[in-house]
Amino acid sequence: MSSTTAQSGLARARRGLAPGGPGGGSHHRTGELNRKSKLSGQTRRTFFWLLLPSIVLLILINGYPLIYAGVQATHDGSLIDTGNFVGVDNFATVLSSPAFWKAAQFTLWFTIVGVFGSWLVGLGLALLLRTRIPAGGTFKVLLLLPWVVPIVVSSTAWNWLVATPDSLIPSIFRNLGLGTPLFLADPHLAAVMVMVFKVWVSFPFMMMMISAALASVDTTVYEAASMDGASKWQQFTQITLPMIARSTYISWILMTIFCVNDFPTIYLLTGGGPVDATTSLVVLAYRSVFQDFQTGPGVAIAFLMTLTLVVVSVFLYRQIRKSSVE
Amino acid sequence: MNVKSEASRNFSRRGFLGLTAAAAAVPLLAACGGGSSSSSGAGGAIKFWDMPWGTPAYNDAAKKIAESYVPTGSDGKASYQIIQWNNFYQTFSSAIASKTGPAVSTGGGFQAFQFEQQGQIAYADKVIDALKKNGQFDDFLPGVLEPFKTDKGYVSVPWQLDMRPLWYRKSLFDQAGVAVPTDWPSLLEAGKKLKSIGAVGFATGSGAGNNIGNHLMIMMMINNGGGVFTKDGQLDVMNERNVEAIEFLLELVSNGVVDPAAVSYTTDNLDAQWKNKKAAFGMYVLGLPQRVGDTSGDLLVASPMAGPHGDKAALVFPNNIMMYKNTPSQESSEAFLTYYMGQLKELWRQKLMNGLPVFKSITELPEFAGDPNNVKIVKEYQPIAKTFAAQGTSLNANLAVLDGGQALNQFTQTILTGKTDAKTALTAFKTGLESVIKK
Repeated sequence: MSSTTAQSGLARARRGLAPGGPGGGSHHRTGELNRKSKLSGQTRRTFFWLLLPSIVLLILINGYPLIYAGVQATHDGSLIDTGNFVGVDNFATVLSSPAFWKAAQFTLWFTIVGVFGSWLVGLGLALLLRTRIPAGGTFKVLLLLPWVVPIVVSSTAWNWLVATPDSLIPSIFRNLGLGTPLFLADPHLAAVMVMVFKVWVSFPFMMMMISAALASVDTTVYEAASMDGASKWQQFTQITLPMIARSTYISWILMTIFCVNDFPTIYLLTGGGPVDATTSLVVLAYRSVFQDFQTGPGVAIAFLMTLTLVVVSVFLYRQIRKSSVE
Repeated sequence: MNVKSEASRNFSRRGFLGLTAAAAAVPLLAACGGGSSSSSGAGGAIKFWDMPWGTPAYNDAAKKIAESYVPTGSDGKASYQIIQWNNFYQTFSSAIASKTGPAVSTGGGFQAFQFEQQGQIAYADKVIDALKKNGQFDDFLPGVLEPFKTDKGYVSVPWQLDMRPLWYRKSLFDQAGVAVPTDWPSLLEAGKKLKSIGAVGFATGSGAGNNIGNHLMIMMMINNGGGVFTKDGQLDVMNERNVEAIEFLLELVSNGVVDPAAVSYTTDNLDAQWKNKKAAFGMYVLGLPQRVGDTSGDLLVASPMAGPHGDKAALVFPNNIMMYKNTPSQESSEAFLTYYMGQLKELWRQKLMNGLPVFKSITELPEFAGDPNNVKIVKEYQPIAKTFAAQGTSLNANLAVLDGGQALNQFTQTILTGKTDAKTALTAFKTGLESVIKK
C-alpha cells in the first residue's frame, strides 16, 4: 500500500473517532449560549448568593495576600513593617541584578528539561505499559513512587546516592575507570543533577496524564490504520501524538508551573548551590526574603515570576485551542 | 474535523485562565504568606515560645519549668509553646505583626536585634537588675552579657552558648602518625598526612542548610585576629588578616586537606564523615560524640589553634531569651524571665542541653563537668570566644544577614570550590554584604 493511501486511512480513522459528528462543537456552544440567555433574574441572583461564600473565601485566601504582596513589592519594609513607598525601585533593583538573570537562566533550563524530559520518559513508559507486559500493574505502582514519596525523603536518598566521593554512583563511576565525579560539588554537574532529579520526580505525573489520554483512544483506530498499511512509526506520529495532543499541552502547562515554582526539589538537594549554580528564581526569592531580609526585592521576583508564568501559560493555552481547530 | 474529547471541549478559556492564575500565584502567596501564628494562651498568661534546642525531652523539661512558674501578686502564669526551626523567623514575624506573638521567647541568635530594630523588643535591664539582686548576675561566665548591651539597654539575656570547637578523631591521628595541629602550619602538614591514609584533614561543608562552612570562614578570620567588622561595627572585610586567613584556607583546599566535595555537604554528610571515621579534624558543633553516636572517647576536643601571628580565638553564638513589647504585662514578663533563668540548671542537670551554660555554677555540676570535652571547651574556648561581630563585641541585626544570608554562603562555596583567589572572593563578599546590610 502506498504512503498516500496510508495517510488517507489514518485520516479516516481519526475522523471516525471524532465525537459529536460534524459541527458538534459549534452546536454545543450555541446550546450553552441559549441556556445562558434563558436564565431568569431570580435564578441569577440565587446563583450569586450561592457563589458568594466561595468568592469571599477566594478573596480572603488569594486576594488579600496578592494585594499585600503588591504592597510589599513597592515598599522597602520587612515582614513586620510595610516601610516606605519606593515605587518600582525594587523591580529595577531586581532586574539590574546579575543574580536575577543567572537564576532566570537556570529556571529556564530547569523548566525546559523538567517539562520535556519528564514528558519523554512518561510517554515512553505509558506506551510500554499499554502493551501487555508481565506484572504491568505492579510496575505501574512502582513507577508512581517517585511522585508519591515525599520530596524530603527522595532528596535525602538522592543526596546519599551522589553527594560524596564514596557515595554509590560516584563509586560505580570510579570502578568503571571514569574518575570520581562530584555530582553536587561541581557547579555544572550539580545543575544537571538537579534537572535529572526533577525529571525523576515528575515523570510519573506525565505517565499518568498520557496513560489516561491513551486509554481514551479506541484501539480499532490502530487496527484500521494497520489494515491501511500504516507503519508503527506512522501510527505513533499520526494517531497517537495527535490523539494525546491536548492532554500533552495541558500537562506541559502544568509542569511548566510546577517547575518554575519548584522550591523543595532544588533547595533540599543543593540549597541553590554550589555558588548559585542551581539557584532558581523561586529559591532566589526565598533567599532574598528570609535570608537577606530584603522583602521588597524578594516579592518583586515573585511578581515577575507570576507574570512570566501567566504569559507562558496563555501562549500554551492558545496552542491547545489551535490544536482543537486543526 | 478535529479529534478531541468531551472533557477538553468543556475546558473553557475563562476556567483555564482562572486555574492558571491561581497556580501561577503560588510564588506570590508563598512570598507574602505568613507562617503559623498562635493566638493561644489564657488571658493575662505570659506566652513563652521555645525552640527545639535538643531532643523532645528538652522541650518536655522546659515546658515543665515554664508551667511550674508560680506568679506573685498580679503577675500572670506562663504558657509554653514549641516553635519549629523551619521558617521560624517567618513564624515570629507574622505572629508579632498580628499581635499574637509571644511575650518571652528563645529563638535565633540575632533575632532579638532584628526585632529590636523594628521596635518590638522590651529591654531586659530590669531582669538584669533582678539577677544582680538574686546573685545570678555574678554567676555569668566572663563576657557573655556584654554582646547584648546596647545604648538603649540589654536587648535580651543570654542563656546558653553555642560554641564551635575544633574536634579530632584520635585513632586517625594515631594511624597517620601525626600530632594534633596546634597552629596553621601544623594543620597543613597533618592534613597532608591524613589525606595519605584516606582521611579528611579539615572537615567542613556548605551544602543545603549547612552553615558550618560559613562559620568556618569567619572562625578562621577571627582566629587570625581579623573579622568582618571593625571594633565600632563598620564593615571591614578586606583587612589583611582576613586575606591571610582565606589564602590559607585556599591552600588547604588546593592540597586536598579540605574534602573536594565539601561544598555540597549537608550536616548529614558531615555527621556521616565523623561517624564513619573519615573526618579526622575540623570545626563542628558541641556534643559531636553524642550526635554521631560514638562516645568511645575517640572523638575529642582539640585545643584552639594559634594563627600565624599567635592569635587564638574561637567562634561562639550566644543564644538568648528576649522579651517583647506585646505582653499582657511587662512586669509579668520580667518576673517570668527572672524565674526561668534561675531554673536553667535543671536542663543541664538532666543532660538535655548541647549548648554550654552561661552560668559558672552550671559548669561545675558533675553532670556537666563529667565530660572532659565540656571542661576543655569551657576552660580553653570560652575565654577566647568571639562572636560574628568581631572585631567588635556588640551584636546587632546585621549579623543575622551575615549569618544566614546569601553573601557569606556564596563566599564560602567559592572558597571551598577553590576556583578563586582570596582578594577576589573577599571583594565579592564585601559587595554582597554592602547590598543587604543596613547602615
